Amino acid sequence: MAKIVVEGLKYRYPLAKKLALNDISFEVDEGEFIGIIGANGAGKSTLCQALTGIVPLFFKGAYGGRVVIDGIEVTKSSLSEISLKIGMVLQNPFTQITGSKLTVYEEIAFGLENMGLEREEMKRRIDEALMLLDLYKHKDKNPFDLSGGQMQRLAIASIIAMQPKIIVLDEPTSQLDPQGSSEVFKAVSDLKKKGITIIMVEHKVEKLSEYADRIMLLHDGRLIDFDTPSKIFSRDDLKDYGVVEPVFTRYCKSIGLKNEMGLYPVTLDEAVDLVVKKREHSS
Amino acid sequence: MRMMSLYKDRNTIVHKIDPLNKILYILASILITMLISDFKVLILTLVVSLLLLLLGKVIKNVFPIISFSLIVLVTIVIIQGLFNPNNKTPLVNIGQFIFYKEGIIYSFLLILRVLNILCAFSLLILTTKPSDLIENLVRRGLSPKLGYVLASVLQIIPQMLSTMDTILDAQRSRGLETEGKLIKRVKAFIPLIGPAVMNSLISTRERAMALEMRGFNSNIKKTFLNEHDETSFDKLIRYLLIALIIFTIVWRLVWLK
Repeated sequence: MAKIVVEGLKYRYPLAKKLALNDISFEVDEGEFIGIIGANGAGKSTLCQALTGIVPLFFKGAYGGRVVIDGIEVTKSSLSEISLKIGMVLQNPFTQITGSKLTVYEEIAFGLENMGLEREEMKRRIDEALMLLDLYKHKDKNPFDLSGGQMQRLAIASIIAMQPKIIVLDEPTSQLDPQGSSEVFKAVSDLKKKGITIIMVEHKVEKLSEYADRIMLLHDGRLIDFDTPSKIFSRDDLKDYGVVEPVFTRYCKSIGLKNEMGLYPVTLDEAVDLVVKKREHSS
Repeated sequence: MRMMSLYKDRNTIVHKIDPLNKILYILASILITMLISDFKVLILTLVVSLLLLLLGKVIKNVFPIISFSLIVLVTIVIIQGLFNPNNKTPLVNIGQFIFYKEGIIYSFLLILRVLNILCAFSLLILTTKPSDLIENLVRRGLSPKLGYVLASVLQIIPQMLSTMDTILDAQRSRGLETEGKLIKRVKAFIPLIGPAVMNSLISTRERAMALEMRGFNSNIKKTFLNEHDETSFDKLIRYLLIALIIFTIVWRLVWLK
């Protein structure tokens, strides 16, 4: 059974005239890494919020269709119940710090305390999350004293410790420097290896192509395409949707270099392989 | 990390006392000093508070708090010395002003009361980590939501102030003049309000969303990471303080008859 089932999802924000999400349907299987791309205003963040139930439980507005997470329909349950199944990491690392805890260790415990876990179980989960996100050496620091990348990893660790089966990341690297972005991508790829389903909105298409199993292309609240990175970035009409393909794909497109399936490469390794093969073939 | 707290981290027995006992101590100090108008009792209470502060290695930190209220204390002496309705015996003349013995004695009584209250409160705020105090109260039935508000405000307000500084710098870099006459400063404040308020609202909304994702509104009974083993010493102190409070009230009622 698919972990996430979205059927005919429509949503309009209060006072807005246009639909933010317009008839979106898709399914995601367990353990998949899904990337979401699209121009500003395409509905990426709204879709993330709809998956986690924040839309419409937190923001009111006109809502239609259904979102089913691990067998539970989000509109028929509470946010705290859904948060056990699906966690969400937002763009701004600073606003995800609760502000009520004095150490990184206690900050991760916040969600676990709300879940009513036993102390020993809490400690086990916190240690595990700290190790996974490489934060153990910072465990006694004040969360506000961390760098942006560390703070974002703390936000992810706080969600991971709650052990949701799905994690949604809404542009988690948008406010981070290259080092911070790499830290977050490495952490997320480790999570995928542990079988956690990942949904990630990201503008850094080179990175996304490297990690994602499938990519969702959104435009004006509509789902334009949902396929493998190669198929998505091999489209000729990406510019119409305000999306730019990875630099390797762009290069291969400019010289008309396709693989045997007629698709352009999306990662550096794929592009290099293809160029080497072409040289060998021509020599 | 800036934080709105006067807490001083030391490893002393006073720091380890249950925060609830410190609250009871404040209550006892206030009741004793308010209900008993005897100099000996007031001085004894003050000495106990000072000894506890000394034991907690925070005695130096009390003086700035006392000096902060010095102007109030001096005002009490002047007003009571000059205008207390019971004033009869002139004590000292300063120019045209006559200070009376009765007023001065009464002002000393008031000063001792203020000092007692200040020292008792200092014992709580200087030797108790705010998060421990709030967690203790939440364990004893305070709403977790109210507990969160109290705990987060200590860290989030300094963060908001630093955001204000960033906005101020941004506006200055665009030519906003913030120095000079009062009118100029007031005018400079207006372009700061919009971005500061919007920023705070957006941050608050995002933080609320992040809290929801951490099960903040969950109906499950909350547990706590930190252990809270109430020692028999803590219990003994609590019973003694409760007994002292009851004794003070009863003694006052009997004494009034």
